Amino acid sequence: MSHRLASLVLALVVTAFAATAASARTTAASPLTIYAAASLTQVFKVLDPAPNYSFAGSNALETQIRNGAPADIFASAAPLNTQRLYKAGIVDKPVTFTANRLALIVPKSNPAGIRSIYDLRSKPVKLVVAAPAVPVGGYTLTVLRRMGLSGVLSKVVSRESDVKAVTGKVALGQADAGFVYVTDARPVSDQVTVVRIPAWAQPRVRYEIAVVSKSPNKAAARAWITMLQSARGQTALENAGFLPVPKPST
Amino acid sequence: MALAFLVLPVVAIFARVPPGELLSALGTEAAKDALVVTVKTNLVSMALILAFGTPAAYWIATREPRLRDVVVTLVELPLVLPPAVAGIGLLAAFGRLGLLGGTMDALGIDIAFTQTAVVLAVTFVASPFYVRTAVAAFEAVDPALPAAARTLGAGPGRVFFRVALPLAAGGLGAGAALAFARGIGEFGATIMFAGSLEGRTQTLSLAIYEQFDLDFDVALAISALLVIVSGTVLLSVKLLTRWRSGSTTPIPFAPSTRTSS
Repeated sequence: MSHRLASLVLALVVTAFAATAASARTTAASPLTIYAAASLTQVFKVLDPAPNYSFAGSNALETQIRNGAPADIFASAAPLNTQRLYKAGIVDKPVTFTANRLALIVPKSNPAGIRSIYDLRSKPVKLVVAAPAVPVGGYTLTVLRRMGLSGVLSKVVSRESDVKAVTGKVALGQADAGFVYVTDARPVSDQVTVVRIPAWAQPRVRYEIAVVSKSPNKAAARAWITMLQSARGQTALENAGFLPVPKPST
Repeated sequence: MALAFLVLPVVAIFARVPPGELLSALGTEAAKDALVVTVKTNLVSMALILAFGTPAAYWIATREPRLRDVVVTLVELPLVLPPAVAGIGLLAAFGRLGLLGGTMDALGIDIAFTQTAVVLAVTFVASPFYVRTAVAAFEAVDPALPAAARTLGAGPGRVFFRVALPLAAGGLGAGAALAFARGIGEFGATIMFAGSLEGRTQTLSLAIYEQFDLDFDVALAISALLVIVSGTVLLSVKLLTRWRSGSTTPIPFAPSTRTSS
């Protein structure tokens, strides 16, 4: 492409940028932009409705932030995603702020008659999980391996892009069962029944949060994380069914 | 400048990965599976669209104008519908707890997360492209010709197959190509209605979405493949349009009203 043409195209991009940026600037002090794991959707919005949120699978958010997405804070459902960005110098040092457990959910009508995890093995079932790269998808594989149930993966009919997509497919009754966090079952408790996963099979689900290094709102971002770690933030998380931060000793 | 803006993202797909790596990325299991699923579901969809859409378009084209306008508008609705709305609509109609869910369950039909669900999604979003072009093609057939055939003793079926169909063939081909292009790119309704499972319901578009944060090169390679397929389809539409320009059918993108030809 010729130099002149390139600059003309850039002019178009700059015009579009200026137009949208101008409209954004008129809206008072810019709120924080928080990229957070889909499982944090309800609790973060209840805790603080002010920030701009982007909820998705932690792996998708990691890719977006790596590609320069304008996030101030990244909250991930697995340490892997925050740690990779930390090592790449894209986020500041992450901290653990909460924990979670997995559960199997089935529609209230329970068409496949699932009463225990082991029923997945014996009954014909349309099972929905998250893709392996999504944190909850990885945790699901751990649970099944620990319970000696990896064979039921042949009954998976869809690998979804985040935990809310799994929850939705089960709540709608499209799928017979799906692996989600216990906290995802709560908002749809009138549509789904929770089948417990024994404690010994539970993976260590740790949530990490970090300030994005290039954020222009670093002070506000750090204050927000402090608030999340305070009694107020921890109470909100606890009320939503999340677990306290595990002790560092194992 | 506007032209360069439109072309740049397409060029960038090819610029970022050298052709050799592009081919090896296309050789991955995920890409091959997605190609098979896409070809299979789209062939079934196209067969359905042609088999049901062609007589429907002929029927619409031969109705009185007011009825025709109403029906064409209904047919065009999925065309302008956001894909997410199409997905919700399909779930509400054909989902297990949807309007027809109970009936289908009683008949022992369970399409949740099957290739049938993919075919339904593709057919729903792609068929309007064919039907509206086909209506225009049938309308452009000089009405004197079927009338002459009828006075010579041909029945309605014979008039349709021997007169109207051959005369409208170019327009029908162009419409089919457009529907096919829309079908292979279908994303939103499929991921909501049929889910995404490699080798079963994961089409090329869904594979791009999944590979986006797994292996960007594979996502690019599949994108490049779809660019080539879409470009080929567009080219064939142009050629078909030129080929039948001897007849009086309007161009496929023109509004399909009687006055537009």
